Amino acid sequence: MVGGMQERLCELESLTRDYARYSRSAGGLASVLGGVFCLSSYLLGGLLPLTPLLRIGLVALPLVWLLARWSMVHRYYQRLGHVEEQEGTAEHRTHRLCVGVTLVVAALQTVSALMHGVQPSPGVTAYLALVWLLVLAGWRWLRSPLDFVVGVFLFCQAALLCVGRVYPVIGTSAALDALPMELLALLFPLAALLMVARGMADHRRFLQLRERLLRLRNAVAGES
Amino acid sequence: MNAPSRIGEVMALDRLVHEPARLLILAVLANAKEVEFRFLEQVSGLSKGNLSSHMSKLEAGGLVEVKKSFRGKRPLTELRITAAGRKALADYRQSLAMVMRELPTPGVVAKRK
Repeated sequence: MVGGMQERLCELESLTRDYARYSRSAGGLASVLGGVFCLSSYLLGGLLPLTPLLRIGLVALPLVWLLARWSMVHRYYQRLGHVEEQEGTAEHRTHRLCVGVTLVVAALQTVSALMHGVQPSPGVTAYLALVWLLVLAGWRWLRSPLDFVVGVFLFCQAALLCVGRVYPVIGTSAALDALPMELLALLFPLAALLMVARGMADHRRFLQLRERLLRLRNAVAGES
Repeated sequence: MNAPSRIGEVMALDRLVHEPARLLILAVLANAKEVEFRFLEQVSGLSKGNLSSHMSKLEAGGLVEVKKSFRGKRPLTELRITAAGRKALADYRQSLAMVMRELPTPGVVAKRK
């Protein structure tokens, strides 16, 4: 009897840990969506002429992604009730460091705009608002390193679009001094591809988890 | 180990944790930062009333924290294990493992008789 209880407890513990991952470190289809959004923003922003409609669409992408992510967690991955994943000390420190960096960058951007006497315009205001929104999004929602990289790109691309600029796509500029920025920007679509792959793997794991949950609930229902 | 000390170990098991439903609740809470009541209800198979009663006992013993709020118009109950709860669970597991190790197998007892 004790053996059976022990086995059930172990399964329940493992199931809780796996289920809790979908609150923080595993995004599943939301990660796939984030990766696709990141690739779209990089390619469409860099290759197509920036019509007002395209600009609005690309500026809205980070917010649409965060909303879709929140919705998927609550309505699909954790529909049995919210379970918050435990955070290790190393993960906690990394997250604080990343948020700290975005906070410093946002503060520097704001101070720089004030010191250089940049004329307040809707574009500049939207730029600064998005830079500060990134700090909030990073602190609250972008918990894993890949989420953070992709989120930073989506927000920064949106902020740049507000002032009529974009991250350059590699090979699109003949100027040699554009190459460092093009190479730096290339990191983002690579991270997006990794994120799509990870999201699909997480989703497959979730389908197995759902089966385990169903078996457990049937067993529990059979007992009572 | 002699019989009286074995009995002593069994008696020393934390009764608050030893009850199967409460043990199950603590095992779930120990593997997450925060757990919604609804999830515990689904995986434990306990009724709302039964679960609430066990939660109250664990809260009174200082092993869990209960946070009540609202999500929109719906009441939301979230639970988390305290440091004392983690320690109690770890101590209980250790004690139980010790008792199980010392427990004679039925065949061995029969031969001795």
